Amino acid sequence: MSSLGRAREKLSLRELGRPGRVDKLDRWVFPFAEAIVPAPKRLDWVREWQAELWQLRHDSRRRSREQNELAETLSLAHGLIADAAWLRWDWLKESARGSAAWCLTVLGFYCLLCAGMERALEGSWQAFLHSLTAHFMGSFVFVAVPAVFVAISTYPPRPLKCDSGHTHAGRRLSGRARWNLFLGVKVLLTLMLGFLATLVATVPVGLAIGPFAPWGLDWAELLMYALMVTVGMRWALLNQERRCHKCLRVMGQPTRVGPPSRNFLHWSGMELVCADGHGRLHVAEMQGSWCWYDRWVELDPAWQGLFGA
Amino acid sequence: MSSGKLSHSVAILLKALSLGYQFGFEMMEVTGLPSGTVYPALRRLERDGLVSSNWEATEDAVKEQRPARRYYVLTRAGREVESMATKRYPLLSRLIPQKLVKTT
Repeated sequence: MSSLGRAREKLSLRELGRPGRVDKLDRWVFPFAEAIVPAPKRLDWVREWQAELWQLRHDSRRRSREQNELAETLSLAHGLIADAAWLRWDWLKESARGSAAWCLTVLGFYCLLCAGMERALEGSWQAFLHSLTAHFMGSFVFVAVPAVFVAISTYPPRPLKCDSGHTHAGRRLSGRARWNLFLGVKVLLTLMLGFLATLVATVPVGLAIGPFAPWGLDWAELLMYALMVTVGMRWALLNQERRCHKCLRVMGQPTRVGPPSRNFLHWSGMELVCADGHGRLHVAEMQGSWCWYDRWVELDPAWQGLFGA
Repeated sequence: MSSGKLSHSVAILLKALSLGYQFGFEMMEVTGLPSGTVYPALRRLERDGLVSSNWEATEDAVKEQRPARRYYVLTRAGREVESMATKRYPLLSRLIPQKLVKTT
């Protein structure tokens, strides 16, 4: 039997006092609220609420004051669910913060937003699809391909060093496959966002310069594509560089290491750490032949006790 | 969290904690706030480092024939925020009585 099961058995509300409104909560609301609480916090939550409900059941002063039993039960039920929902919401926020899934979700949302705006500007689905095809094949491809090539050749993606292709327990893809898949999808979404944002932005630009220089609109569009693709690719690669090799979460807690005045004698720069304690990233103050890339240092699992809750 | 961002409910809870009230139902009793306000606020205060919690020793709970409670206390940062909140809302001191005896 699990520790949670033992705790529940030991502290079952029905064994703690005489039946009453608390039993209604125990039977209907408590299991529902318990299911909402995230698993790592569930045992403590159950213990805390059972102790609190025991107090309520055995507080004779409170019982004698209560006029409306139904209102009190409803208020308690609301309390149970509100507390459980807050814990779940906070846990979801913490889990999503800096994660790969959140990054892709935000990029996808902005793509959909830009596509929706472009569809609204075009007026019909047919015109929208025609505009997408014409601009994509007519100009975007000619700018994006060389811009992507330049971005990757000037800032090549760092090879993954911590994982030799083994699959982690409970995961279908190896660390390397997840790393590459995330980078690929992120680059695709970034390029798509650059394309769609440029399409939307060309409408006000066209209104502004169209009457004076109709030929300038095509050049402005090409320039905006080049800018969007270059900036987007640079961001995607830098963002990948600052992620944990194991969990793909953005690394944080930046700390300065080493005095910059001794740059030629000793390493100096910034150190970032994975919130789950998987590793550290050394970002050199000055790149040199000895340090072209940020240096990833994997932490032994023994360190993980110092990180997270 | 500065006192400028504190809601009245949170200021009342901080005051109750500073006066020695330690667990959820005790705070509901003394503040009159519903459980749907008290518990999420306590979680938020704990996450923000203004409050810390610890479990009562099992022997103490067994001696009183009840389940062990989770007790909340103000941290140093919590005490600072509580004193700022008391300056901002002076009536808080009169609203909540000092705790005289340990609740059983």
